[in-house]
Amino acid sequence: MGKFNNLRSKLADDLDIPNDAFSDNFDLKMHGNKKIIIENHLGITVYENNQVGIKTVENNIMIKGSKFIIEEINNYSVIIKGNIDEIIFGKRE
Amino acid sequence: MLIFKLVSMLRGYAVIRLKGANSEKIINLLRRKGILMWDVEKNEDGIKLKISYEDYERYKDTIEEAKIETVNKKGLALKVKKLKLRKGFVAGLLILIVCLYIFSSMVWNVEVVGTNSTTAKNIIKVLEQNNVKVPMAHTGIKPKKIETLIYTNFNQFKFVEVYIEGSNLLIFVKEKKPENAEIQGNEPSSIISGKNAIINKVIAKSGQPMVKEGDVVYEGQTLVMGMVKNKNSEEFMMVPSDGTIYGKTYYNFEMKEEKLKNFEVGTDKSKNVYYLQKNGSSIKIIGDKGPYKNYNYKESTVRIPIISYLSDIAIIKGTYYEHIVKPVEIDENTAKNKMKIDMYDNLLKMCNQNAKVLDSSLNFSEDDEYFYLRAQIEVIEDIGKKVRLYPIEDINVEKTDDKN
Repeated sequence: MGKFNNLRSKLADDLDIPNDAFSDNFDLKMHGNKKIIIENHLGITVYENNQVGIKTVENNIMIKGSKFIIEEINNYSVIIKGNIDEIIFGKRE
Repeated sequence: MLIFKLVSMLRGYAVIRLKGANSEKIINLLRRKGILMWDVEKNEDGIKLKISYEDYERYKDTIEEAKIETVNKKGLALKVKKLKLRKGFVAGLLILIVCLYIFSSMVWNVEVVGTNSTTAKNIIKVLEQNNVKVPMAHTGIKPKKIETLIYTNFNQFKFVEVYIEGSNLLIFVKEKKPENAEIQGNEPSSIISGKNAIINKVIAKSGQPMVKEGDVVYEGQTLVMGMVKNKNSEEFMMVPSDGTIYGKTYYNFEMKEEKLKNFEVGTDKSKNVYYLQKNGSSIKIIGDKGPYKNYNYKESTVRIPIISYLSDIAIIKGTYYEHIVKPVEIDENTAKNKMKIDMYDNLLKMCNQNAKVLDSSLNFSEDDEYFYLRAQIEVIEDIGKKVRLYPIEDINVEKTDDKN
């Protein structure tokens, strides 16, 4: 899964195709340190006021900070608002 | 996001609360089912989130199975759904809307502005005779046609404008002014004195001068006669008089100005009073009439939407602004200047445009309360005034007519 995904990601880069359209990698956008948009996620693992955990194909993303609100969540993307202090990317076991 | 929230308000949404340790799992479960969630907030009671009403209805069983608490349901779609049960209310509402539409698309009153009540009644009578009767639908009223109708039936109007304002048909009319009886250049006329004066110069271009320089003339006295003797037949004939007669006129003025004058000065205080107006009469609702000793009063009319169009009801808002009287001492120079300006203003109103001031004597005096000005102004001005001469035959004819 991992190797095949890496290959697709590499191919997408070589062909100048958007990476998220071709591979299973997540797409992360930040608006300052107040808003974060993660696309291609697999769900939330933790939701507290001071931390939010998001599961993706290859990583577990842990966002730390304060006053977190999930502005929108659907099957494809999640929008989190709050004061973001730290983002930790962990390898999925 | 604002548009999204607005749409969700229209389509309806449900607020649900997740309790317990496995809240994240339930969120993921709902997500996997393709349910969109927004405004997910965590507090002491658990996680509160919003889902669309459609999703709520579709996955109602799942939500109940997961023992999820439904906090609230909001939105226009829900209200409409509730209205389906209240058939009488909906029917009443629809009838009201239809009635409002029908009544507001009709003219209920005709108002004529710019003429006396008798003429206004006559105009309304003429309109009624031509099938313009109230109540009448807006579409049936043709303002241009009504204007033409009024122009053809009434000669005294120089301007007519008709338009519809709400449920009123407004007719603005402007009456013609009577034409000035100007004396034509070839009409027999004399020149008479318009004022008491001493003749200074007589320039008679046509007609027989009756006065000479230095003569004292009184108001109404003939200065140039429009009847001259025919050189050939020794008979008198009527001619148009023309000329300029300059006379010295004297104007006396007595003016006074207070030494201590009271001025009204506005303060920051104001109070409102509200009246309900119906058919020209008004009833006080809130506030006091004349709450201050000295005040400036301003009034404005607030028209209530729909109600004011259907009936003549309006709310009048009056505001009393407090004024205090402050005595101010006027100094001598200011008082003198003011009196002089007032005097010359009056003089300008009294004498002709081409008048020339020959001499003026101004005497200022004062007592404890007032400054006084006594003045005499000597002016040279054209004192002549043209009057029409009527032919003798015409007068005779009129007399015989009277006898008959």
